[in-house]
Amino acid sequence: MPVGFRAKDMTRVQDSPPSFLVRHEFLIRRLHSLSGLVPVGAFMCVHLLVNASVLESPAAFQKNVYQIHSLGSLLPVVEWVFIFIPILFHAIIGVVIVMGGIPNTGNYPYAANRRYTLQRVTGMIAFVFIAIHVFHMHGWIHQDTWLEKVVRPLGGAEFHPYSAASSAGLALQSYVMVAIYLIGVLACVFHLANGIWTMGITWGVWISPKAQKRASNVCAIFGLLLAIVGVGALFGMRADGAGERLIEARQVEDKMYEHKLESGELKPNEHKRGGGEVTKSEETSQVSVE
Amino acid sequence: MIADATPASKKPSSFEVRVLRQDAPGEPGYWERHQITYEPNLNVISVLQKIAALSTTADGKSTTPVAWDCNCLEEVCGACTMLVNGRTRQACSALVDRLLEDNPAGIELQPMSKFPVLRDLVVDRTRMYRALERVKAWIPVDGYGDRGAGPKESQEGQEVRYPLSECMTCGCCVEACPQFAKVELFQRSDESDAEFAERKNRAYDQAFIGAAAISQAILFNEHPTGHMNADERLEALSAPGGLQVCGNAQNCVAVCPKNIPLTTSIARAGRQLTGYMFRKFFDR
Ligand code: SF4
Ligand code: SF4
Ligand code: FES
Repeated sequence: MPVGFRAKDMTRVQDSPPSFLVRHEFLIRRLHSLSGLVPVGAFMCVHLLVNASVLESPAAFQKNVYQIHSLGSLLPVVEWVFIFIPILFHAIIGVVIVMGGIPNTGNYPYAANRRYTLQRVTGMIAFVFIAIHVFHMHGWIHQDTWLEKVVRPLGGAEFHPYSAASSAGLALQSYVMVAIYLIGVLACVFHLANGIWTMGITWGVWISPKAQKRASNVCAIFGLLLAIVGVGALFGMRADGAGERLIEARQVEDKMYEHKLESGELKPNEHKRGGGEVTKSEETSQVSVE
Repeated sequence: MIADATPASKKPSSFEVRVLRQDAPGEPGYWERHQITYEPNLNVISVLQKIAALSTTADGKSTTPVAWDCNCLEEVCGACTMLVNGRTRQACSALVDRLLEDNPAGIELQPMSKFPVLRDLVVDRTRMYRALERVKAWIPVDGYGDRGAGPKESQEGQEVRYPLSECMTCGCCVEACPQFAKVELFQRSDESDAEFAERKNRAYDQAFIGAAAISQAILFNEHPTGHMNADERLEALSAPGGLQVCGNAQNCVAVCPKNIPLTTSIARAGRQLTGYMFRKFFDR
């Protein structure tokens, strides 16, 4: 029975000098902890809140998206420096951390221990989900051959920022996708809420058991609220991707796009507009993708 | 039969004890079953004494006595720590009547899983003591001359420290810790005892230090005299295998037989290290 631990034992410790990861373990772990909140966690909150604006109206969501895209050519830089790279750092170090642990909820089924295990499970789910999600909506890298030859044939890069609600809604019509997003979003939300709680211990913000209890209540409420926002955004988006509401959303988006073109705020951009030939067969090509 | 005989009035006539035995370091473990006649008020140590007296397994085969450690017999020394029904605790305070209430099928004994097994239920907990050395869990006294009265002690500070001072280095906290992995080395044929001990220390020093030593570092950092060496302890706590390895599962505090507020110590160490980190960076 205890033989089960063997695989993870450090039974054979080498004499080689400690690796970079080991030598800077403290700093890396603190940066890992910090990056989970800023920028990754903060980004996630903003992201879910912006997406939830679709519940108000597709126009409100489209307005927010235009605002984000007003960064223009700076946007990819911001994306990589403040979002993708921190997420990758957090995820890769996270995998290293998970591999160093020996979950033992079987013998020690305490609530905090279950959360420890869940934190690791949701972290791994979040990693996979974010990879799928970014591929599905964004395509990972905005490079023409990559997008045309690899991403689109695989059903990726479905989100078109200038047709925000309708393209996202269309991409979320299948039950499989909704299930993946539901699990993924909830895993991310749990991971952030519980992560804030452990972070407070790691950095020494809440110390006494009472303070830790209070903090965990606050984190639970925060997680619940964020889960409502996230799930609301998901189903709000999905609702705008079918039937009457899809047509309405497209009309609003068309109007906003044309208005922006007329006022000279935007130059025509087929990538961001979506659906190949924008003016002619956009509706049919969009729908036929699904 | 035994299964429904738990009410206080009807006690079983005998019960089974399964022991995970191991003949020598590095050898595979094997289970051995023993049938023990029931008596009221047994503890696991007296069960082990009965097993030694019997020297016969439940299948009637003759066997060697099971090896175990004990000392104080009142949950003060920590020597008898082992896994009883899968959970880490002291054998001397593990009462058979209680154990049979929870699990009438019998009792299962294993050595701690995070320390090298020397024989049967006896493990080598050197790493616990090495961890205390790492954080200098003491107050340096560099002479015998009278240096006058020490700093004043506040009641509050005393109340924080007293519970921490009760640690018996039993190892329950690290045994239950999901972030604490076993480190076991074997002596090479060309290696002297001193060389082997040094190699072991090097390995221990890179592995997770564990909740007990973190808490002891806080005990001495909070001590008015010990505080003078606080930075050295914080340096040790931020070295490889230090506080940062903790994953906040909080099993340590749940299993500590002395009810030491380990997670409070861990958070306090986190706070001290946050400050130390910035001080170190800007004072360079
Ligand atoms: S802190 Fe508690 S569990 Fe850990 S060694 Fe000390 S007494 Fe044992
Ligand atoms: S709180 Fe830290 S030291 Fe305690 S059991 Fe959890 S991981 Fe181990
Ligand atoms: S013999 Fe000392 S704690 Fe059990």
